[in-house]
Amino acid sequence: MTRLSTKISSLTLVNPLVLASGILGNDGLLLARAAKAGFGAVTTKSMTLEPREGYDTPIIAFVESGLLNAVGLSNPGYRALPDILKEAREGGAPVIVSIAASTPGEFHIIASYAEEHGADAVELNLSCPHVKGHGLQIGQDPGYTYEIVKTVSSSVDIPVFIKVGITDSLMETVSRSLDAGADAIVAINTLKAMAIDVYAKKPILSNKYGGLSGPAIHPVATRVVYEIYREYSPPIIGVGGVMTWIDAVEFILAGASAVGIGTAVAFKGLSTAGEILQGIEKYLDSEGFSSIEDIIGYVHRR
Amino acid sequence: MTIGMTSLRYVRGFIDEVVTHGPGLKSLVINIDKLPVTVPGQFIMLWVPGYEEIPLSPSYHANGVIRLTIRERGPTTRKIHSMDVGEPVFLRGPYGTGFDLSRRARYLLVGGGYGAAPIIFAGHVLHKKGFESMYIEGVKSREYGLYTEEAGKLGMESMLVTEDGSSGYKGLVTEYVEKNIDGYDIVLGCGPEPMLNRLIEICLEHGVECQVSMERYIKCGVGICGSCILEGTGLLVCRDGPVFNARDLLEAGYEVGVDD
Repeated sequence: MTRLSTKISSLTLVNPLVLASGILGNDGLLLARAAKAGFGAVTTKSMTLEPREGYDTPIIAFVESGLLNAVGLSNPGYRALPDILKEAREGGAPVIVSIAASTPGEFHIIASYAEEHGADAVELNLSCPHVKGHGLQIGQDPGYTYEIVKTVSSSVDIPVFIKVGITDSLMETVSRSLDAGADAIVAINTLKAMAIDVYAKKPILSNKYGGLSGPAIHPVATRVVYEIYREYSPPIIGVGGVMTWIDAVEFILAGASAVGIGTAVAFKGLSTAGEILQGIEKYLDSEGFSSIEDIIGYVHRR
Repeated sequence: MTIGMTSLRYVRGFIDEVVTHGPGLKSLVINIDKLPVTVPGQFIMLWVPGYEEIPLSPSYHANGVIRLTIRERGPTTRKIHSMDVGEPVFLRGPYGTGFDLSRRARYLLVGGGYGAAPIIFAGHVLHKKGFESMYIEGVKSREYGLYTEEAGKLGMESMLVTEDGSSGYKGLVTEYVEKNIDGYDIVLGCGPEPMLNRLIEICLEHGVECQVSMERYIKCGVGICGSCILEGTGLLVCRDGPVFNARDLLEAGYEVGVDD
């Protein structure tokens, strides 16, 4: 372990930055490029059983302090995983395969296939806010979540991450996921939102609703990371509006072992990873810490 | 590359003029003050509320006036073709890379079909800088011609190349380029991919720098959705392009292929 390295369950990352799911699509070479640009791990876009075209444009809308997207889980279907994984792994960082499905059986099929073809972990997307029958509709049902997580965690040996979103039953979903064998919690997904162009006098997104990401949701995510760590202290990947090293350190102090980056890549490009890592290192120096591990959950200490 | 906050929100513009070119080809001249200025080769997203938004590389943009040259190919572009002077449209951008027009050199501008749009825009900018350039446009037949006359009016040497010989040079635009490339330092190209592939080959053979504008289905425009990946290269057309130096493309593993 070096000073920037971190562990999430059995995975060791050279640094805590994870390319969040849904950014840069699911091209293996592009994921490899992100790894080479400095990400400690990369996550694929959510893969589904059948290929999905995604929604009509506009699929993105910019708002103050963030952006909305309704890409619509576009992906080539899970059978494309072998090629994607082969190319992505050449980047040298662990590859996390994100999965979106509607039943335990579907999650099981895709997770097993991902493991068989070299995935380092799977992330179950139980929180996509803009596709019916997937995501949030499942994630807000803790009982069904338990069933899905149990099915997947008992059928693969690689770590199983659960990506959660904001629902009234969030903490129960986390608790039941951990009971069912989840190895880490990824928090949070985008928030269901809408943007209207006042001159067009219409919702901008063709899907009307989209997921809000970016600085606007960062304090919400910090709260959730804080609460999950306080209650259960599992490995947490904090995601939501990390634009600078300060945001990243905030998550780690709140209890995250790693930090997902998404929207910042859209605004600033892949070089953002290197800048954030530099900032974290300087912070460790200036505050007298020897490694990332020393500050995980620091705010909870008395 | 950082995307400026001013490029993110839609800016409303109003159609000032509709120009009908050949079959299925129109240009909209739009008054739009607040849109940041576009470098030739960069693209904007045009949204017609109630329809889709589409990526377009302007054929002119200066002093609050932008011109978009649009081929009818689906419901959204059909709607756009039916629009009149005074109607509003919504633009965001500009995004991506433009042509590098910074060096004093002799430029050969090559447009194929409606790919001529950013090429004539580059012509305007080079003309303003006083750099020497020639404008070549390749089309199936003379009625599809777009901007050779405009280039001529700027005082640039220009040539229309038609596949059927109905006007100008008869043949493929790349054949004309191959015969006339000597003496030029930089080739700028935009058009169908087989044309660009051949252009890259010709430039390699003649040791001439080549910048090409690549086309893929751009949906978000800012590198999130992955729709515009250039297969086999790890490059995104919307962020890393659309204008690439041919050398960088080849280094990234792009193959010019032989099936053109």
